[in-house]
Amino acid sequence: MRARALVVLVCFVGLLAPPAVAQEAEALKKEIEQLRKQLESVTERLRRLEAQPAPVTPRLAPPPVPSPTGPPAMAPPPPPGASLTELARPRQPFSLYQQRGAGQLLFDIGIAGDFVGNITQSNVEKAQGGTFAGQENRFFPREVELSLFGQVDPYAYAEVRIETGEEARGQELGVKLAEASVTLLTLPLGTQAKFGQMRNRFGYSNMIHEHDLPWIDRPNVLRNFLGGEGLKEKGVEVTIVPDLPFYLEGLAGVFDGDNETAFGRGTLRVPLFTGRLRTFLELGDENAVQLGMSVASGETTEKQRDTLLGWEGRYKYRPDGWLHPLVTVTGEAIYSLRRVLVEADTDGDGIIDRITKREKDRFGWYAGAEVQPFRRWAAGVRYDWSEFPATPGKERSVEPYITFWPSEFLRFRLAYKNTDRTHRETPDLNDGSAKRVDEILFQGTFILGAHPAHPF
Amino acid sequence: MRRPRLVVGSILMTLALLAPGTEAAKKLRVVATIPDLKSLTEAVGGDLVEVDALTRGTQNFHEAEVRPSMMLKLRRADALIENGVELDAWADVAVLGANNPNIVRGAAGRIEISRGISLLEVPSTRVDRSMGDVHPLGNPHFSLDPGLAPIITQNIVDGLARLSPDDRAVLESNRRAFLERLDREMARWNKIMEPVRGAKVIAYHPDVIYFLTRFGLVQVGTLEDRPGIPPSPQHLVQIIRLIKAEGVKVILVEPWNDLKLAERVAAEAGAKAFVFASAVGAVKGADNYISAIEFNVTALAQALK
Repeated sequence: MRARALVVLVCFVGLLAPPAVAQEAEALKKEIEQLRKQLESVTERLRRLEAQPAPVTPRLAPPPVPSPTGPPAMAPPPPPGASLTELARPRQPFSLYQQRGAGQLLFDIGIAGDFVGNITQSNVEKAQGGTFAGQENRFFPREVELSLFGQVDPYAYAEVRIETGEEARGQELGVKLAEASVTLLTLPLGTQAKFGQMRNRFGYSNMIHEHDLPWIDRPNVLRNFLGGEGLKEKGVEVTIVPDLPFYLEGLAGVFDGDNETAFGRGTLRVPLFTGRLRTFLELGDENAVQLGMSVASGETTEKQRDTLLGWEGRYKYRPDGWLHPLVTVTGEAIYSLRRVLVEADTDGDGIIDRITKREKDRFGWYAGAEVQPFRRWAAGVRYDWSEFPATPGKERSVEPYITFWPSEFLRFRLAYKNTDRTHRETPDLNDGSAKRVDEILFQGTFILGAHPAHPF
Repeated sequence: MRRPRLVVGSILMTLALLAPGTEAAKKLRVVATIPDLKSLTEAVGGDLVEVDALTRGTQNFHEAEVRPSMMLKLRRADALIENGVELDAWADVAVLGANNPNIVRGAAGRIEISRGISLLEVPSTRVDRSMGDVHPLGNPHFSLDPGLAPIITQNIVDGLARLSPDDRAVLESNRRAFLERLDREMARWNKIMEPVRGAKVIAYHPDVIYFLTRFGLVQVGTLEDRPGIPPSPQHLVQIIRLIKAEGVKVILVEPWNDLKLAERVAAEAGAKAFVFASAVGAVKGADNYISAIEFNVTALAQALK
């Protein structure tokens, strides 16, 4: 029986093998033919070059160099419109950091330092109700960040950001990992995948680090719905930019859901799902609008679903030839659909008799406009209105500010912020209330070394 | 049973819609970071290529803002031609957002044209940001030096031929025709510039040094205090003194820089400020590589008389 099975197997393999070998031989033949053509082309070119004098005799130009990277001997690049398998094939490195030479770092390093301060009323300080809660009437390093970024290999790009900052009054500075992610660049069909710890692409400003924000502080709605640090998660994001006549970026992500303000389950068994659609319209050379919609849905620590919907818009007017925009208008809105558990003591005996589920729909938004008539100076104002995701009440604030850049690596900002609240999200502390807050905020930011370019 | 089929069918249809079109395979879709390279690629590629640029000639290439429209152009590109030497480092961010594996760093479609260029102003001492927006690898503004066009176009031909080896002969032939024309123009330009050879000029930003050196002119200073740093009043006083002492007749201003300030300095020092073609498309009439150089040669020779 075993012998018969062996014979059948051998026959089967025998039947399959010839076409496979033939296919392989055919592919090799094609590759050899292609290489032969390339060799002929290079030989012909060399012959022509040797036979002719240089076409132009510039006095300073050294002779033309040979082919910068040479023809790809091992893996020819896929032609436009290549098949899925061709696109998925690994490519050979051709010119990674060709300028840098031996002994040079193969990635970029940058340091950003962000120092902020605020002056406010003593009752606000007591209640810890200022913009930098617990750090009222102080000047402190909010974020000092070391960025390392560059190509891992021809297929991937990595970014690591390590940061420190004073999070509470007089507290020792701790170093933590702000971001560490790898982006796979050579996936087919206009897709990319990013995995690691990252600031989520939820709305416009969530992904921006503190020192890069266009204002001193993160808008109230983001702090209320996503926490002081915003949405920063561990997981995977996949983006697709389809081949359409207009720009459209789609994003889908799966994350742990560690953010305690909005979610907090922190497990992939009940993950946080994110999504985003972003488009961009250019109205002539001078006007441009970016629009986007985001969603994030996960479970809270109470094991209840919380879904956040976000909308974003950003408009820029840059007169022709200007180095900077004259007018920038930015706005974002978040709508939260959150299920919460409500405990009820129906008979007043101090014991919880019933726990019911309720859905709390909350909303918040901000809009800001900035005018930059000079290269080094800009002024703007931001208006915030926001409810609190789990507690009653709402707050609104107005924040005019002025920015000065002595150079593109150094920036100073000064702002006044007025906030009015019906309630506080947390109870008043130390007999201090913070329903009306007046603050003067100031900021000094520097960049040492490399820094990624600014997106729109 | 019908439902899963419907889902699979919908997914396949969506994928088919999203897949790159086959019609575009006829021409190589090339994107250049700056318009000078777009013009040179058009000259070399001829009918084989469809070229677009990420920036305009009136822009400062150091501070280009990455817009999603750049990503849209790059999304469909077969090749990205970049200047390199940190002039267009922002292209990396645009490429990251374009989701196009053809043009990521290291791919065959990524063509850097600074290979083989003998760069000027390469710092020979330690550099840091106290020197302004200094380029540790050397001055990156070489693209409008006609004497370097043979190297730049060779790099473009080699890059495009990597993607389309069968077209190398046509690309070489286009390049030769372009360089022959440039050679003829060069002889004429040399003749025009001969009387003003050795003249001293001031540039607003140090982005014209290759062109000046090519035609035997001398840059004695810049209006910017240091590269990328706006001039301080003390620096302007020094520049006015320098212009007077050295007999400088011309201040060259990029279209994106402060012409009024340059005109004030020029008026104070008895010189003339004018906007030159710092790139293809920077001024009216400088619509391609040769016309941009023609504009600069004519305007400079006129102003220096």
